[in-house]
Amino acid sequence: MCCSSALTESQLQDKDSEPLYLEKIKGMRFFDPHVHMTSRTTDDYQAMADAGVAAIIEPAFWLGQPRTGVDTFRDYYSSLIGWERFRASQFGIRHYCTIGLNSKEANNEGLAEEVMEILPLFIYKEGVVGVGEIGFDDQTALEEKYYRAQLELAKEANLPVQIHTPHRDKKRGTRRSMDIALEHGLDPGMVIVDHNNEETVKEVLDRGFWAAFTIYPFTKMGNERMVAVVKQYGSKNIMVNSAADWGISDPLAVPKTAALMKDQGITDSDIRLVTYQNAITAFGQSGQINEAEFAADADIDQSQRFEGSSVLRGGQQPRIDKRSAIIR
Amino acid sequence: MGYTYDQVKLSETIAQQIGRRSATSLQWLRQQQEKLLQGGKNNVFGVTFTAIPRFVDKGDAGLAEADADLFSELRNGFTPLHWPLDRLARAWWLLQLPAADEAYYVMQVESLFEAAAVQEQVALYSALPLLAYPEQFKLRAAEGIRTSLGDVFDAVALDNPYPSEYLEEGAWNQLVLKAFFMERPVKRIIGLEKRVNPELGRMLTDYAREREAAGRTVDPQLHQLAARCAGKQ
Repeated sequence: MCCSSALTESQLQDKDSEPLYLEKIKGMRFFDPHVHMTSRTTDDYQAMADAGVAAIIEPAFWLGQPRTGVDTFRDYYSSLIGWERFRASQFGIRHYCTIGLNSKEANNEGLAEEVMEILPLFIYKEGVVGVGEIGFDDQTALEEKYYRAQLELAKEANLPVQIHTPHRDKKRGTRRSMDIALEHGLDPGMVIVDHNNEETVKEVLDRGFWAAFTIYPFTKMGNERMVAVVKQYGSKNIMVNSAADWGISDPLAVPKTAALMKDQGITDSDIRLVTYQNAITAFGQSGQINEAEFAADADIDQSQRFEGSSVLRGGQQPRIDKRSAIIR
Repeated sequence: MGYTYDQVKLSETIAQQIGRRSATSLQWLRQQQEKLLQGGKNNVFGVTFTAIPRFVDKGDAGLAEADADLFSELRNGFTPLHWPLDRLARAWWLLQLPAADEAYYVMQVESLFEAAAVQEQVALYSALPLLAYPEQFKLRAAEGIRTSLGDVFDAVALDNPYPSEYLEEGAWNQLVLKAFFMERPVKRIIGLEKRVNPELGRMLTDYAREREAAGRTVDPQLHQLAARCAGKQ
């Protein structure tokens, strides 16, 4: 259907039906402890809220290309605790973040030094639930240097640590990350090791760390594999995230995985632990997560609160009917 | 020394209020003050400002009208009614910044603004009337008016004596117009009557016509204010 006939209004409208998987998880709430919302649209926020995502954590990472000055780091960190949190609140989603110097950019030593100087200012901001995501990428000496420095920072501030494990030489990188964290005297219960797979999970759990899994097409975990992992290892100390960013990724990965788990006979209480509660328990050790805050948001009646108002107040935005061709 | 009022007395009064509400909060603040007096290493000024909500109670400071009057006597128009305790503590902390060197002072305050989270921005903008060298923060106040965050806008525009005292006419007019645009309680803009001007009248009238053309309602206060602006001609 192209070019030969003009589109009609009904062809422009969205399909009315909800995706089937949403039915399966109706009434469930989710916490996505790793998602880079800075790279996502407001439509994603809306879809996440509709699927039951109540709160998220946005780890500080790189932006797809290296930064050249400390000021852009400062503005990025500021946006994570400011504008992005505000944007999320428009959709009734509570936004937390972790702050850190990522492993890729740790390789620019001059810049890394300057970033380390401003980090202490940001890790004490409200809603900062950890130091992250930090760790190894190419596993260079400089990556190690700044990983260690940031572990010390987290220890001093009594904050959880969110560890990014490398894509390449992953198993060794994961083990090394844990060895170093223990060497610095961190309690493994304060450390969330991210981007696990079938090869790394056992050791991470055996050593008492939190094991996070990223459901991300092609390069990380698929959710069918995730279901198998939960069947094998249970729900203790395991959490699921989307790590959705600027790449081909899915901000609905957590609710979709919950739906698949439900389909494949995993109990509601195990689903709740891996898609909600464990992340809150782990990152809640920062003292910065208040579940009551996101419960309250979910009950807001958007239309009553904001009808006729053009102002952004830090509450939810009125919803627009996307199926209508009329814009007011 | 840069201050337009008795900031030592105000600082003491605020500290008393904080202590009355939470002795442990005040104790922590005093301990940070000590570090600052000893040279303020490791950016103790900036880090303390940021970390205040982690160590100071966050509930309503519980100021009665009478307490607020006490503040207003020391700094005309400063009435922090309904402020949470951590915001009051941040105002107090700002008063501890050494003000002998103007350039240093302004740089320190500006660097707080540059890295400020939402509630820090609220605290900073609502404390504008307390700062030393107040004329140095005119552009910053104008920047605050450009925000799209409701709480931040309110902190600059409402119950704040700074804008009518210091803003240039252009920025002042934007503040008033935007308050209508954002449907804020315009009555709480301090000094509104004193600073009506013909240009503001023109802007308000144009805005009212635009809303009417779009079939939207117009706040009746807007017409009243526009009429008073025209009377100034």
